Amino acid sequence: MSRWRWSVTALLLVSASTLASPTQDYVLNCMGCHGATADGVPGKVPPLAHTLVQFMRSPAGRSYVLRVPGASNSMLSDAQLAAVLNWIAGNFGRDQLPESAPPFSVQEVAATRRMPMVSLRTTRGEVLKELAASGSAPPEDY
Amino acid sequence: MRRLDRIFEQSSRSLAQRTSRRSFVAVLGQVLTGSLLLPLLPIDRVNRAAAAGLEPDAAPPPPAHRSPATAARQAASDDPQSCDYWRYCAIDGFLCSCCGGSSHSCPPGTSMSAVAWIGTCHNPGDGRDYIVTYNDCCGKTSCGNCGCNRNERERPLYRLLRNNDNNWCVANADSNYHCTVSVILGLAEKDQ
Repeated sequence: MSRWRWSVTALLLVSASTLASPTQDYVLNCMGCHGATADGVPGKVPPLAHTLVQFMRSPAGRSYVLRVPGASNSMLSDAQLAAVLNWIAGNFGRDQLPESAPPFSVQEVAATRRMPMVSLRTTRGEVLKELAASGSAPPEDY
Repeated sequence: MRRLDRIFEQSSRSLAQRTSRRSFVAVLGQVLTGSLLLPLLPIDRVNRAAAAGLEPDAAPPPPAHRSPATAARQAASDDPQSCDYWRYCAIDGFLCSCCGGSSHSCPPGTSMSAVAWIGTCHNPGDGRDYIVTYNDCCGKTSCGNCGCNRNERERPLYRLLRNNDNNWCVANADSNYHCTVSVILGLAEKDQ
């Protein structure tokens, strides 16, 4: 891991003694795969930084991120999942989040996360196409 | 001196006349059996356990007051090459501290896994919970030393991110598993 990544990790964890719940929920439930800077692992784990906010632009994108396995199957409650997603959006790419995109609510998470996704790849492709038609979109491959 | 000898002789003879060796052995057996059974009696030992620091919420006693057994347990829980080391509360694999690395760094020639399982461990030394990341060290064949399998708060495989049977080298270029480290990330909140 490069030095700057360790620095970010250290910075994130220096505040561990006073971690707010969404921060600790991110560390315990997301950071293991998505990393301290939410960049993911190229070719293996999709990034959350600067991409979650793009998915939040459209209803289909919001539904997609709530139904991917890491979110829908996580041990977080609906309220915790909403809080940690909003925490990620606020810390990794807030400048790209349009004002029209509201934060995730507990009701939205509860109504969406348990809806099965038949094909993740197909759904992702459709969502990315829709996003690309209306502005910037995350890349198809990660 | 002769008088002293006579006193002891008389008392010994008197004792021998009043008792038999068989009865002495019987009494001795009863005493030994009784003393062995005594600890099995249903006695409330909560206070003693708390004093020895065995209760979760009890503050650890000062070293001078620890029993040898407690001190041995404490020593093991502070030894990075022991499976009882408190940081290893949910580890499953070979300890890198026995493979040329340390409890938190990979041996030469291996690289730390890009993905990991993150959980919490309780440090009995200070009574606090710490956030711990279990990373595998990848790039060489299995180390084979100090195999350790502890499963505190582990979840079945369908909870993929909380299962320690995974090979976390899966996201590395070389996914050969060598050993596992336990890196402290910080203090955990109490509700974990």
